[in-house]
Amino acid sequence: MGGEIIRNVLRLTFLILIQGLIVNRLDLWQGYILPSVYIFGLLMLPITTPRIMYMVIGFIAGACVDMFTNTLGIHASACVFMGFIQPLFLRFLAPREGYEVGQRPTLQDLGIGWYITYAGILALVHHTWLFFIELMRFTPFFYTLGKVLLSTLATLVLMVLGQYLIYSPSDRRKK
Amino acid sequence: MRSLWQLIYRYHIFLVFLILEVLAIALLVRNNNYQRATFVHSANKITGNLYEKRTEIAEYLKLQSINAELAKENARLRTVSQPNYQQLTDDLYMYEDTLYLLRYEYISGRVINNSVNRPNNFITIDKGSTNGIQKEMGVVSKGSIVGIVKDVSDNFASVMPLINTNMSVGVRLKRSGETGEVTWDGRDPSKVLVNYISRSANPLKGDTIITSGFSTYFPEGILVGTIEDFRIPEGENFYTIDLLLSTPFHQLSYIEVIHNLLSDEQLELEQKQEGQDGG
Repeated sequence: MGGEIIRNVLRLTFLILIQGLIVNRLDLWQGYILPSVYIFGLLMLPITTPRIMYMVIGFIAGACVDMFTNTLGIHASACVFMGFIQPLFLRFLAPREGYEVGQRPTLQDLGIGWYITYAGILALVHHTWLFFIELMRFTPFFYTLGKVLLSTLATLVLMVLGQYLIYSPSDRRKK
Repeated sequence: MRSLWQLIYRYHIFLVFLILEVLAIALLVRNNNYQRATFVHSANKITGNLYEKRTEIAEYLKLQSINAELAKENARLRTVSQPNYQQLTDDLYMYEDTLYLLRYEYISGRVINNSVNRPNNFITIDKGSTNGIQKEMGVVSKGSIVGIVKDVSDNFASVMPLINTNMSVGVRLKRSGETGEVTWDGRDPSKVLVNYISRSANPLKGDTIITSGFSTYFPEGILVGTIEDFRIPEGENFYTIDLLLSTPFHQLSYIEVIHNLLSDEQLELEQKQEGQDGG
């Protein structure tokens, strides 16, 4: 259990640094596409995490990302909203006989179809909240909508590729 | 009482959600007024130092182009340096010049963090109050406009660039002198909008736009950009001009902060005038 907590904290810290120091500097299509890879750390939280902790951890992680971009509160509020939805969504997506003990919300444990639904929709929720709050108005609606959709897609692709690179299927059997 | 606790218990998750959201939005709104809490700010120690490390690595990789840039700058400075000027008189030397008063001083600095892909971009530079940087100083890069210093810590300062939706600067047409105001719509970091250029002006594509020098931030004549397109929206008396910025915000590396030695005097006088008008 303690190992699990340390692993999650390290993973989040690493991803926040990657986000703040590298991903935010990627200038994809003049900055139109802006993936938020750090939410991978939030999506990887164990299925048994208490509901409140999803939001608290989200708030802290979001505030850390905000410190890098001088946008205090924007990422934090998006992550809190995602953390509110996340456990409801996990319950909705649960297999009929429930999650197995020790199962992690990953591509390898639950399959690619399950993962893309789970991560895709939560990333979409996060990005929608993020970009509309950031502009604080709806005037360039389709411009922002396009930004949301393309950035979500970029985040999702990075997360799926990242999992194929980092976690091999044999990894799971060892556990 | 018990039923109240039961009620709170039943909805405690939603309550926590509301509290955290209100906290986040409160931080955000506070932020928008630029009275940022200084303890969580990119000018603070932790992120400032992290950014500096990253810049060191990135600069090492960019050494070649920076060298070329510096060599060009050297050449330019050498052409205007004193040995290139002929001495006109032999006998008259001024010790304290009373005809010319130094008004603007430049402090050079280096960009250590820079964003262009958000509606409210910020730049962090490696000079702070120990180097004489104060709030509200103008920032330029190679003679073209960058932004205004918004926050200062001991060794870092954060600059609100022209490509921030909360920023506006007074400008004028270089050729005919009409004044207007530059704002950014949050889209393309290489273009801004100029408003309030009067109908009587006669702008042309390719015309240069410079700072007006009315504010205390910038001297007159700092380059802002060139006109790409212009129109008069129906029912309005002013031109809306699309301006191509002359500052490459994507690749800023060295900047100069302008210290206006007479800004206090100007502001004091203007405030006095406003006070009289109000009374």
